Amino acid sequence: MFAMTINTAIPMQRLLTLGLAALFATAAHAAAPGITGPTFNLQASQAYITQPDGQAVYSWGYGCNGAPGGYAPAAIGGAFCNAMQLPGPTLIVTEGQTVTVNLTNNLPAVAGNTSMLFPGFNVTTSCAATVPAGAPGLLTCEAAPAATVSYSFVAATPGTHTYYSGTQGDLQVEMGLFGAIIVLPKAPVADAACTDTLAPAGNNATARSTWGEADFRLSTSAYDHPATCYDREYLFQFSEMDPAIHIAALAQVTAKAGCSAGAVGCSLEVPTEPYHPAYFMINGRSMPDDMDPNYAPMYPSQPYNGNPHMHPGEITLLRIIGQGRWQHPFHEHANHVRILARDGNLLLNAANTLAGPLMFTTTTTPGVAMDGLFYFTGRGLNWDMYGHNGASADANAKLPCTPDANGYNTGAPTAINYFEWCQDHDKPMQAAPFGDVPAGGPVTLPDPNIFKNGTWYGGSPYLGPDATTRATFGTCTGLNSTTACSTTGTTPPSGTVGNNPSKEAGFAFMWHSHNEREITTNNIFPGGMMMMMLVDSREFVIDESQ
Amino acid sequence: MSTKQLGTHGWLVFLLGLLAFPAAAQSFRVQCPTSTITHPNAANNNSEPAYAGPTTLAPSASGYLTPTANVNGAIKCQQVGGGDGYASMADGTQTYMFSFGPLSGLKNIASGQAGTVFPSEFNTVIADPTTLVPGYPAGLASPAAAYNGAVGLVDSNVNYTFNLYDIFEGPQAALAVPAAASANTVTVILNAEVPFKVGEQIVIGQGPNGTDLNGYVGTYTVSKVGIANTVGLPASFVFQYLSSVTGLPEVLGSADATASSLPIVDGHVDARQIMDVGVMNGNIPAPLMAIDEDDEFFLTLTNVGMIMRPDLFEQHTIHFHGYPNASAYFDGVPDASVAINIGGSFTYYYLAPDAGTYFWHCHITPPEHLQMGMVGQLYVRPRQNRVASGNDLGTALKAQQGDLRTACQVSDVLCSNPMPAQADPASGASKVARAPSGSYAYNDGDGSTYYDVDVPLQMHGFDPNFHFVGMTFNNEGFADMKDKYFLLNGRSYPDTVTSGPLSTPSADGVNHYSQPISAIVSMKAGQRALLRISDLSVTEYHTLASLGIRMQVIGWNAKLLRDQAGNNMSYVTNSVTLAGGESADVILDSCLQRATPSDPSSQCLAAIPVGTYYLYTSNLDHLSNDAENFGGQMTEVHIN
Repeated sequence: MFAMTINTAIPMQRLLTLGLAALFATAAHAAAPGITGPTFNLQASQAYITQPDGQAVYSWGYGCNGAPGGYAPAAIGGAFCNAMQLPGPTLIVTEGQTVTVNLTNNLPAVAGNTSMLFPGFNVTTSCAATVPAGAPGLLTCEAAPAATVSYSFVAATPGTHTYYSGTQGDLQVEMGLFGAIIVLPKAPVADAACTDTLAPAGNNATARSTWGEADFRLSTSAYDHPATCYDREYLFQFSEMDPAIHIAALAQVTAKAGCSAGAVGCSLEVPTEPYHPAYFMINGRSMPDDMDPNYAPMYPSQPYNGNPHMHPGEITLLRIIGQGRWQHPFHEHANHVRILARDGNLLLNAANTLAGPLMFTTTTTPGVAMDGLFYFTGRGLNWDMYGHNGASADANAKLPCTPDANGYNTGAPTAINYFEWCQDHDKPMQAAPFGDVPAGGPVTLPDPNIFKNGTWYGGSPYLGPDATTRATFGTCTGLNSTTACSTTGTTPPSGTVGNNPSKEAGFAFMWHSHNEREITTNNIFPGGMMMMMLVDSREFVIDESQ
Repeated sequence: MSTKQLGTHGWLVFLLGLLAFPAAAQSFRVQCPTSTITHPNAANNNSEPAYAGPTTLAPSASGYLTPTANVNGAIKCQQVGGGDGYASMADGTQTYMFSFGPLSGLKNIASGQAGTVFPSEFNTVIADPTTLVPGYPAGLASPAAAYNGAVGLVDSNVNYTFNLYDIFEGPQAALAVPAAASANTVTVILNAEVPFKVGEQIVIGQGPNGTDLNGYVGTYTVSKVGIANTVGLPASFVFQYLSSVTGLPEVLGSADATASSLPIVDGHVDARQIMDVGVMNGNIPAPLMAIDEDDEFFLTLTNVGMIMRPDLFEQHTIHFHGYPNASAYFDGVPDASVAINIGGSFTYYYLAPDAGTYFWHCHITPPEHLQMGMVGQLYVRPRQNRVASGNDLGTALKAQQGDLRTACQVSDVLCSNPMPAQADPASGASKVARAPSGSYAYNDGDGSTYYDVDVPLQMHGFDPNFHFVGMTFNNEGFADMKDKYFLLNGRSYPDTVTSGPLSTPSADGVNHYSQPISAIVSMKAGQRALLRISDLSVTEYHTLASLGIRMQVIGWNAKLLRDQAGNNMSYVTNSVTLAGGESADVILDSCLQRATPSDPSSQCLAAIPVGTYYLYTSNLDHLSNDAENFGGQMTEVHIN
């Protein structure tokens, strides 16, 4: 039935090709896309997923059985939900809704039964009341090959939840049968009532509309609590794969093709120990594939990406799930994450304020979902990250910064430097810069002849295309000279095609597993559980659609 | 071509590369300014001033804010080398590492302390650079006598000393010196062309027995060079400076008067010293760094190359792990910034972030460079430490709200130290005063994070197969990496309970300090020890358990454990489990009962018995040193 395309001969070339393709693609973005219910017709079925080393890995996953009720967020076009996905479709429902999932087992007969677990919800099933209870060892109602069962529950608590197979989990979850449920609060908090935002009500929306950015949120708050409001959201599901298990499964599925379900010998005997995972994925993709767009056509069974973007000051909701069987320490560069909730349970104190910890490494645990808030402002850098220069001829280099009660420039939502940390406004970083950025700062940057530019380097230490252009190509006073510079800078931003300095020039931060061996793809670095998060200046429009 | 031939070829390329570097505009260099915009007074930047209140700021002529009062913090500098080295495992094995080694603060590092120093110490040129030999300071009779400044630093000025032909103050019409010269303008005529430049500092001096230059002797700044005169000497033989006194008499033809240039220490370095000391000088853990809130930190990474792997032209970087609001440029991720090549230096610049136990590591090919050993510890100490003894800690925390940078706003979901209700000066509750000695881990406002001694404990693991492959050729597998040495501060038991630095002979046959930080926790009965635990493992989670002394977890991931209402969320346990990339602050309190229970710095009325207690991993398979089934991640707590 399926041809095995194990392509061991040219993994590196393939990696490079895909990597470059990713770099030259239009900037890809993430959000938390999924399908809407409250009734979901799903199936478990088989397909190949692709990995950046060129391998096509035989896998099982949940997918749509017919067109879903809808897709969200609406601003992401080109959505699809194929028969098999890894992870399964993200089920987006609203608190209080009665959710029904009809699951059809379209796995090969030899795989036997399958099922779905919805931890944290009280589930009723289509099985007779005695079936799960009377069948020892069963966690829930199981669908026999080609059969359909249904699960129903009230989405009682908002937040991020997981679902996964409750049947022979060591094999079926390894093969890819898992996904996420996002429950949106019934009464999301209105902007004016939010207590966690650092901007005046309505100003973030004004900033979005100024630059023509769509709203990619599923809701305005993660919970029915005013300290859970957010401006952007991303879902990250961590899982790993041992290719030996997938190869063994495929071999047996192929050898026993056409056997009758339940017949003697019509079952899989795939060893799941010893366990040697070699693929470490976020949302079913390994870096750099995870930075390609959502619903990218080359990943028909891996529709979701991992490529967060945000502007300074925007509150970003991270929905993090540990799938699979291993723990993965997810390290977020650039700031801490305030953990809001665990498995959809908001962590509050008696005063009804946030009580979750702050972490720079959010340690995922199998089966556990976390919600957390993150932002970046650049507060305390002690230099003006926009490279403002009062002596410049560029109007954008002379924008004012008026501190609010927190010290941020939030009164100017239409300005490039909306949310600038005003205490460092105009403050120079470089002792003697080349370009049109202020001089007299504390540091001398290294000679460009003796460093290597990174792929996501914005081209200068400064944020945004205006500042980066000034810092590298601007009319300027030369280093130790009073003559005008030429138009080529001292920090040539060559090799930064992934973060074109004339367009984006954002601050790139790596978000990755800190079990560092997991940022590899089948022993090749870079790869695996890694992505770049981009903080973008306001003049770069973050478009999370394709 | 054999592997060996390849190696030789690579070695030659490497040497040729080194020879080429001096032609570059910059190669190795260090940076440690004595004053900055934020710390404008150089004289105040060589010690930590007391915290009297929030820094007040006002706009300068340049448009940006400059401090006007309460300049908090100071300037700190450090230089580390990126390269390779060997470490000793507890079973006697020498293990090859990619590693960082100290290139400043060598005396501190050799004594297990942070190598971070103030500018006055960092910018001191070594008296006798010929003592800087490979292995330094391991070969010294007393490491305490070692040089603590920046290795390589030289006086970049040419030292001139000239005799004076004539020196006089004010206008001298007879010599055609312009009458406009003010009464305190001193004119100096040399017997040769003036080598000094305007703005340069010079010293007017005199031999031991002479006195005729009284009033002139001192250090001055040259104000003008090249003055036409009727003496018969070229204008270029004459310069002027401004003196603070007037009415000095002319001294013509003094026998022993001189004008000399002053040394200029501006970060220029002698690459020979750096290569002699820095090559094969790797440490595990990498050099310890410690700064204080409000400090500006200048950290210079000098890439000396990996001598045992001449085929690798690897860059190295420094990632300040966990720094809030990091800049992409100084974040050390090569993909998101720039990475320094062999033969160059990169100075990372940060204003110290919020207090906490952070750590640092190279971010080049992390599964390889971290496994190979490029991991170090870094703490930021709170400004609460600098509150004057006896002052109320709650009032000091309240004062921090006066500077928006140090304030904890209610709406800020990422702030971890809101004012505890009972510590608020307005609450009327009893207060906790700054202890006369000791330190605090965080700006707690209530003294709850007080400690007497702090001990860095870095958890890490080495896979000996990976390290062996890493020394020979570059084709390692990552997926099946399996650590077999389990380390606390780069040591396995029983090396963990050896005091002082461990040294390892390198491929050059010379002993190098390879593991400078002992893992012994030592305190007097009744004291509190802060364990600054970080886990840098690249393969698995580690648990550290305590026998006999309970662990109080007060901080996690460099943040005080406190909820948004200011409630203390610390907890007591017998073990902590950390993932690679996590840190924790754990207090071991050897006191059972204190005079004032709410003040952990108060007198201890009943302490636990004097003796030896243990910290060990309850991952029992990690209590091993490769083939030896006893050892690993275990150390002792000495209560004495």
